[in-house]
Amino acid sequence: MNALALIAPLLERLAGELPATAPQGHNIVGAQIAIGSLFSIHILIAGLVSGAGELGPAIEFLGFMRQRRGYDRLAHGLGRFITYYFSFSSTIAILLITVLLVGFWGHFWTTIVTIAWWPLFIEAWTFVLQVSLAYIWYYTWDPLRGFKGLHMAIGGLLAIASFLQVYMIDVVASYMLTPTTPQNPIRLVLNATSYPLTVHRTVGNLAYIGFVIGAFCAIRFVRAKTVQDKAFYDWAGSFGLLWGISMTLLQPIVGYSYAKEIQLHAYGSWYKMMLGTLSPVFLWQITLLGLMFLTATIYFARRLRTNGARGAGLLKVMAVGLVLTTLLAAQPYHLGFTYAAVASAGLDRPFWEGGLINPLGSMIPWKVLALMSYTLIAIAAVVWYLRGLPGVVWGAARRGEQRLLMLMAVLTILMMVTMGFIRENSRAPFLISGEMTIQGQQNVQPTVSPSPSGGG
Amino acid sequence: MGRLDAVYDWFDERTAVRSLVRKGLYEAVPKRGAWFYTLGSATLVLILLQLVTGIFLTLVYVPSVTEGWASLNYLKQHDAFGSIVRGIHLWSAYILLFVIGLHMVRTFFSGSYKRPRELNWVTGVGLFLLVLVMAITGAFLPWDQAAYWTAVVVTNVPAYTPFIGSFIRALWRGGDFVGPITLSRTFGIHVWLIPAILFPLILAHLALLRKHGEFGSYVNYRGAYRSREGVDVPPVPPQRPIEPPYPAVPTDELWAAPLETEDFFPFQTFKDGLVSVVLVIVVFLLAVAIGAPLEPIADPSTTSYTPVPEWFFLPLDELLLLVPQQLIPLALIVPAGGVLLLLALPFIDRGPERNPFERPAVMVPGGFAVLFVIILTLLGSGRLFNL
Amino acid sequence: MARDSRRLSRRQFAFLGTQAVGAVVTLLLGIPIVGFILSPLFHRQQVVWRQVGDISGVPDRQPTKFEVSFPLDEWTSSNVNLAVYVVKLNNEYLVFSNTCTHMQCPVRWQSDLGQFLCPCHGGLYDITGKNIGGPPPKPLPQYVHRIDGTTLFIQNSFTESI
Repeated sequence: MNALALIAPLLERLAGELPATAPQGHNIVGAQIAIGSLFSIHILIAGLVSGAGELGPAIEFLGFMRQRRGYDRLAHGLGRFITYYFSFSSTIAILLITVLLVGFWGHFWTTIVTIAWWPLFIEAWTFVLQVSLAYIWYYTWDPLRGFKGLHMAIGGLLAIASFLQVYMIDVVASYMLTPTTPQNPIRLVLNATSYPLTVHRTVGNLAYIGFVIGAFCAIRFVRAKTVQDKAFYDWAGSFGLLWGISMTLLQPIVGYSYAKEIQLHAYGSWYKMMLGTLSPVFLWQITLLGLMFLTATIYFARRLRTNGARGAGLLKVMAVGLVLTTLLAAQPYHLGFTYAAVASAGLDRPFWEGGLINPLGSMIPWKVLALMSYTLIAIAAVVWYLRGLPGVVWGAARRGEQRLLMLMAVLTILMMVTMGFIRENSRAPFLISGEMTIQGQQNVQPTVSPSPSGGG
Repeated sequence: MGRLDAVYDWFDERTAVRSLVRKGLYEAVPKRGAWFYTLGSATLVLILLQLVTGIFLTLVYVPSVTEGWASLNYLKQHDAFGSIVRGIHLWSAYILLFVIGLHMVRTFFSGSYKRPRELNWVTGVGLFLLVLVMAITGAFLPWDQAAYWTAVVVTNVPAYTPFIGSFIRALWRGGDFVGPITLSRTFGIHVWLIPAILFPLILAHLALLRKHGEFGSYVNYRGAYRSREGVDVPPVPPQRPIEPPYPAVPTDELWAAPLETEDFFPFQTFKDGLVSVVLVIVVFLLAVAIGAPLEPIADPSTTSYTPVPEWFFLPLDELLLLVPQQLIPLALIVPAGGVLLLLALPFIDRGPERNPFERPAVMVPGGFAVLFVIILTLLGSGRLFNL
Repeated sequence: MARDSRRLSRRQFAFLGTQAVGAVVTLLLGIPIVGFILSPLFHRQQVVWRQVGDISGVPDRQPTKFEVSFPLDEWTSSNVNLAVYVVKLNNEYLVFSNTCTHMQCPVRWQSDLGQFLCPCHGGLYDITGKNIGGPPPKPLPQYVHRIDGTTLFIQNSFTESI
């Protein structure tokens, strides 16, 4: 009682400070930061969950075909991960939608739900499907050991549900960047960037879960006591990295096509990303990609060398090639030797007279060359590592390799945050390109929003 | 029956036809997974369908820039059966490209290209490339807008070869620009030149198949072809002598015979026939229901027509769309290098392991190649529907 | 072969003879066939002048399309229509083809963009024909032309090869 009496005036003062309703009309930046940071956390976890929902069944299948216990253990671990973190991720999503999006950007939210009602409706059901299948898949592991085919079929359904869920939300996300004018569901689903974005994100989630497996197993490897555990975590870490890098090397071509579609259909956003205010961030991103490939290649080389397996030498040469490629990609402009090249790149005038903010910050052609080399060298590195693998004794890895695995996960998370930042800011000041701005949100009271149609 | 047998004997004495038939039909082939092995015969059936319909199309078609389109337009307007024949020619070509791709992927997966069957694979890759050339050259012939602009773009692609590019382009076009000689040459290539190479190569492919016997896949074998940690298969005594030279010269584990076999005729041929007949029915239905389209006659002066590539040309076209001007030759090196790697595959991957899940160093890059083609096709597919 | 190695045996003679016969036939057939295939390469295209029409009505900075008929080839009497974009820039005339320098697709004038657009792979040219976007490696080709008063004549060849 005494304590309450003491803080009562404080509470009263605080209540007087707080706005009576959702903070409409002011503190736009605060709302943006809150939504942006929560979205980042949401995507970082949800990406893992849906990636695990697709990769887990694939690993189980591989284990069945190769008849090796390691795969089964790894897949089972992924199942456990999903059951733990699914609820966490969806809690953040619900918090985002119900409190932040509806509270701050009510007009936007009701509009997008009205337009994208069908995808969001399917999205809601895929959530139900995904979570039920994930729990069934995890908890029937041992009971269905004698019926592996049935169990793998459940896993396959889980993978499909996980994919559909990402696909449906990507339809909405891509619509926000490249809206279609006649609004019917088919048009909506086939909007210009929905395809590339879905492929880009699905492959990205699969890569991400691989790298996180690598880092997790690296930590467990260092702590492991028994020989069997050491062998398992060594193998699983290597597998995770191999999987992650294999998926990542599909990304340059998918991401580049995505950028091409943006160039064709949302030129303003493209200009901002490649040549405008966001181009330094993009430069950092392509450098980061090089660092990721480089780290993986160094891991491959070191891991083979530890056991004296063949191929370590050539992998080192590839690492040098990747350093050179990264330097090529990281240089801020394409080389202009003539005045015409300089002028056509916008270097001859300051940006307030129409020049480029990142002078000569053109992606073309050196960045494309760098992307091609990244991909080809990374494929070669993966193949060379696979060739050397029969000579590797699992459990013999050293700490250096494990540190590389952890570094890889850090780089990946940086990469994802960077890309999310670029993507969401390329539309600014629009929430839906050319149609709805953040400013517009603040002027509209939630009472005049269009008819809400449920969903979510 | 006796009289028929006598006739057969008479022929056999003069032609040795009996041993030929026996060699062709009564051969032991692996039993498990036999449905996968029907893809090869389906490819053959579709190629023969092409041959037959193609021959009959030449009865009407005139290889001329002024008359070619008109002859096909006549077919379309006034000859219902002729339209169906043309439809079958088109749709069986489309399905052929798909099936030959599947056949190739199946062979790749099962590791059937390994010793002693390297040349089966090499001739197969040759056949695949020739079929692609047939598809591309065939697309020129109707000389409607789609055909004309396909001809323009396709004959322009080799122009980016360093040093000799414009020479190759001019050689194909018969001049600097697409014109009457281009059509005559492409017709000659489509109707005479490529088939003259294609059909002997098919015979070589089949002769090699009979020489080494069908490999099937690792599930048909125990020992060296099986996974090292695989489920142990109890040894099965061979029920009958196995005819094809499975245990070829060195009779060690590497050349083990399949666990179970059955006769090619009538067991495998029945499966082959079922798959082929389904495909032929699908082709026929598509030919009747959709048929072969014919756009307005070629018009080089158009400024409103939007050329769209043939679907099988999409991956390359998407590459052309994505790659900036300075890197076009480099981008064309990638598919050319892919073809070379494909030809070299059996000489690179020489280990005895046939289980696809135990050959990651080959399957992973192969998977990437397939994935890249699929991704490029998907990314380009929007243009087919004018989205 | 125990005998004098310089002396041809009957078998060796027949062996070499067969090869020689094959070589003669190959040469006799090969030379004309290769020459025949290559002949269009060395054949100069027949260059003719054609009248495009009166260009006094072409508005400034607004590319206008004309169509001109040229003979298809020497052996036929048929003609082919070619597209000509006439651009008037400060009393100077530029005479463009509709052939994209990337893959030779048909270029069109997009008045909303103020640029020539190639619909195949998204190549862009500005009004002076300069390649400013997408994959085209060279500027839009121009026809060899002359102007008599207000009448434009063009030749079926470009000022620069593409």
